[in-house]
Amino acid sequence: MIENARSINIAAGLILAIGMIYIIGPLYLTLSTASQSFEDMLRNGLAWYPGDQLLVNMGKIFTETRIPIQMFNSLIVASSNAFATCVLSLLSAYAIVYFRIRWAGVIFALILATIMLPLDIRVITTYQVASNIFSPLNAVLDVTGLNLLIASAFGAPVHLELSVLNTHFGLVAPLVAHGTGTFLFRQFFLTLPKDLFKAARMDGAGPIRFLFDILLPLSRASFAALFVLTFLSGWTQYLWPLVGASTPDMQTAVVGLARLVPDADGQVPDFPMIMAGAVLVSLVPLSMIALLQRYLVQGLVLSEK
Amino acid sequence: MRSDSSLFSNRWLPILLVTPLMLLIVLFFYVPVFQAFYWSFFLEQPFGGSSEFVGLDNFRRVLSDPEFWKAGARTIVFMLSASSLAVALPLILAIAADRKIRLSLPARNVLVWPKGVAGASIGVVFAFIFNPFVGLMAPLNQMFPGIWAPGIDGTDAFLTLVMAHVWSGIPFNFVILLAGLRSIPHTMYQAAAMDGAGPWRRILDVQLPLIMPQLFLTLVLEFTESITSAFALIDTITGGGPGGSTTLLVYKIYVDGFRGYDLSGASTQTAILMVFVLALAACQFAFIGRRINYER
Repeated sequence: MIENARSINIAAGLILAIGMIYIIGPLYLTLSTASQSFEDMLRNGLAWYPGDQLLVNMGKIFTETRIPIQMFNSLIVASSNAFATCVLSLLSAYAIVYFRIRWAGVIFALILATIMLPLDIRVITTYQVASNIFSPLNAVLDVTGLNLLIASAFGAPVHLELSVLNTHFGLVAPLVAHGTGTFLFRQFFLTLPKDLFKAARMDGAGPIRFLFDILLPLSRASFAALFVLTFLSGWTQYLWPLVGASTPDMQTAVVGLARLVPDADGQVPDFPMIMAGAVLVSLVPLSMIALLQRYLVQGLVLSEK
Repeated sequence: MRSDSSLFSNRWLPILLVTPLMLLIVLFFYVPVFQAFYWSFFLEQPFGGSSEFVGLDNFRRVLSDPEFWKAGARTIVFMLSASSLAVALPLILAIAADRKIRLSLPARNVLVWPKGVAGASIGVVFAFIFNPFVGLMAPLNQMFPGIWAPGIDGTDAFLTLVMAHVWSGIPFNFVILLAGLRSIPHTMYQAAAMDGAGPWRRILDVQLPLIMPQLFLTLVLEFTESITSAFALIDTITGGGPGGSTTLLVYKIYVDGFRGYDLSGASTQTAILMVFVLALAACQFAFIGRRINYER
């Protein structure tokens, strides 16, 4: 199409430039401040040009804070969140789409409803459940009167206790209890041709074989998209790791970074060191975005459909 | 629907397949949601022990607390201001990036970056950049003392929160809206151009109406998102202050529950917030969703 679109193209270019400055600006200032010494920052305020103290500040993060071990925690939490979400979602979507079960609709609705109420809203009671994951079972036994029966037969009611707080499992499990992955895989399975299934049956493939030899290879792109998405969401969680882990050695890097800023007002904290920490903490997810951007964008688009 | 011949008919295998995820969802979603409502009718002791049925007393207590209403009003102000900005800005950027100009490829890359920066991390960064003594506004503050004081002035603190929220909300909304724009068939533009609509006019008459589904979806998700994800920003930038002026409901629930050990009060507020979020989504689907034509 040939037309004069000069005015709109100039406007669009300007808008994009402003948008990019808005995104890159804070990141650049983080990096440039991270490379100043504390004294320079106190004297000159915000640093517009990078200095030469970046490695010194990062060294401080490695020697004076718990960020290194907390980054290891973040890595465990993010990757096991991504892996568990992918596998469990794949399995449940497979059951919902490819099996003749009457309650498939109900199960899918129950899974999908989790999207409506994010973890941050229900954090108080999730914390209570995590402090004893058998509490629902105990309550059921009490309410149904089974415990009275057990108490009269064995002398004592059943009361089990197991806290998953302050464990990696406890940090990950509430994140996995989420419906996006199942939704994503279900949408993908529904786009596959039915003849694929029929051909596989004709060749004598059972459910397990069909899953591993046909569905899994086809789902590779969806798998990667969901993996990137859930990895990033696991790494960037804040409220749950803040309450779910009580010792510094179990906390995740994002929580540790926020704890570097002293609560008390008054003196100016060591911002260059804190910014060096922010750079380190964001390095893994940002490089992941740079390398796997295609999958991330795909995942974002798929999760809305 | 699929015909029966295209389905497996195993009986126990599908149950085995959904059990792990369902177990986690029941344990960490349905039980906590149920418990929030259940506890809102009981007076709970903070360290276990007895609980006592008190009927609607908790609701009476929470609803007669002016702090609750203030936090609720702030939540709604934040929701409306932050989320409309967090959709409008990506919309403008997406329309610009949809044009074939030199900057659109790098912009598509850069605008996704905030997805990799945690809310709390960017909160720490924004707290520094907008620090009144050493930050961006420090020179201005030296000329006009007190013009930027997020530590004292609630509006300044609130503005910082909104800016940080919009910053981290750009990637998702931008990607969704851009995908919507790119799926508009090229013939639509050609037809509009034949009818004499210039590029500016086509934004209003072709692009906006056709991405209504995406626009609606981002708005629905953004409303919930702004209510919940504000926590990380508040905790790192303002700490709820100054003088409670940035204490949104999600932050108040955390403070009441984990610092004040008021489990019943926190659960009651959680229950009210859940009902609000669900009602909001239902309203949007009932009133806005129906008017949007999803046909292409």
